[in-house]
Amino acid sequence: MNAFRTLLHPSRVVTVPLRNAYRWFDERTGITQLVHKGLYEAVPHSGGWAYTLGSATLVLILLQLFSGIFLLLDYVPSVEEAWQSLHFLQAQDAFGNWVRGLHLWGAYTLILVIGLHALRTFLSASYKRPRELNWMSGALLFFLVLGLAITGAMLPWDNAAYWTATVVTNILHYFPLIGDGLRQLWRGGTFVGPITLTRTFALHVWVLPFVLFAFIGAHLYLLRRHGEFGAWVNYNTETDDPDKEIGERIRNAEPPYPTKRIERRYAAPKRTVDFFPDQLFKDTAVSVGLVAIIFIAGLIFGATLDEPADSATLTYVPTPEWFYLPLDQFLVLTPHDPLIAVGIFVIVLAGAAAFFLLPFLDRSRERRPTRRPEVLVPALFMIFAVIFLAVLGVNRLYNL
Amino acid sequence: MRDVSRRQFLIRMTGLGAGAIGVMLSIPALGFLLSPLFAQKRIAWLTVGAIDQVPVGTPTVRYVDMPNEQGWPVPSERRVVYIVRKSDGTTRVLSNICSHMQCDVHWEPRLGQFLCPCHGGLYDIDGVNIGGPPPAPLPQWVHRITLDPVTGQHVLEVQNQLDERV
Repeated sequence: MNAFRTLLHPSRVVTVPLRNAYRWFDERTGITQLVHKGLYEAVPHSGGWAYTLGSATLVLILLQLFSGIFLLLDYVPSVEEAWQSLHFLQAQDAFGNWVRGLHLWGAYTLILVIGLHALRTFLSASYKRPRELNWMSGALLFFLVLGLAITGAMLPWDNAAYWTATVVTNILHYFPLIGDGLRQLWRGGTFVGPITLTRTFALHVWVLPFVLFAFIGAHLYLLRRHGEFGAWVNYNTETDDPDKEIGERIRNAEPPYPTKRIERRYAAPKRTVDFFPDQLFKDTAVSVGLVAIIFIAGLIFGATLDEPADSATLTYVPTPEWFYLPLDQFLVLTPHDPLIAVGIFVIVLAGAAAFFLLPFLDRSRERRPTRRPEVLVPALFMIFAVIFLAVLGVNRLYNL
Repeated sequence: MRDVSRRQFLIRMTGLGAGAIGVMLSIPALGFLLSPLFAQKRIAWLTVGAIDQVPVGTPTVRYVDMPNEQGWPVPSERRVVYIVRKSDGTTRVLSNICSHMQCDVHWEPRLGQFLCPCHGGLYDIDGVNIGGPPPAPLPQWVHRITLDPVTGQHVLEVQNQLDERV
């Protein structure tokens, strides 16, 4: 009787078949090994809070994917209906407007966080051998996020979107020789019109996200291949000659890495912890905080919608989104032909190229920011230039 | 030896096959992508109206509903036509599309100039760029002025495209 009861105990009735099903599944997929490989990666022991920005960026990109899918439930990519469909959200559907708020404030937060992530990686010099391609794929992801932000800003087809579309597509026509053709291809005509919106929509919801997720895959693959570098503090020791010691450890951390995990630990930073649960807890805490901010901002502020696009306005003052203010101010500072083309396609693209090619510009073995003045000073100059241009732009457009 | 050449053959044919797929998909896709470059424009003449009563010496706004010249037909877009009649009898038919970034230029009576709100471009009453970043004068609409034999009035008509000659 007792044995019978034990045999039919609810926990046994449920857990035994479940365990058997899991074993069957695991034998065929190797899921356990895969999950363990993902979770028990060694990461640097110190400074874990600084390393949460990458996963926060990923979480925010997934939030954009999620909220973007839901916006497709109502949005119509047509010059006649785009504004109407979003106006319906604003006037009739509080939850729909909340989702749009998530998408807008998520985008703003994403741009800030991906920028901080790049800044952290720059300061810790994590882009050095063998992680050059980690940096370059990350730089491409940064450009793709900016591209998604500007194409997304064109879609509501209110005045803000219409004039953003006008200016952004018009910039292309300053490109030497083929500029007029490029502008015509994006616009689908001489003027901004119906094809401009459908082409921008295709870029925003398929082309750019597709490329984005491909490079996210590459970025994460490379991260796992080389491991989290951390920062120079992770290679610090208490010996009399710390500099030499640090240099030795960093050299040890360079390739070729031993493939076995036990040997890998030896080559890794001085002290490591498992990704799960130590680092993942910190990652989660930061992501929860950021998503909570977006959740509340989306509810309180929602997303703005201007008047419908008016191609004959004489009073509307087109202003760029805040993250394009520095570039917009740059257009003021480079007047007339051919300086306009030089400003956009030489100076701005040279800055972008320097950002992208940073691992090949900074070739020293030094990792501490203060020992790399040859890259730190130009980088600080670029950061201050961007902030200064933004301040000039705010002053010009809002007369503060 | 025979195996190696067979192997080479298979590798080459595989590469050729992949290339063939690429070409077959690229031709229609590229043609579709580039079609706006070769599309027939739908040019229309649109009547602005009689201009004999338009004041001389100050730009006057007229709004014209213009059909889109490329892409499928959508409701006409209102566009601005600035009529500038000069005392010497000439008439300029300016758009309000800035030659810099195509923002919405407007006549600023206090300045006596056209002002672009985007980047501060300035044009004089003839549409000549005199300040700020614009690289060229304010473009004119393609236009013609005809004498209506019935009413004896000068009638302005514009096309839904800009005069590229500047």
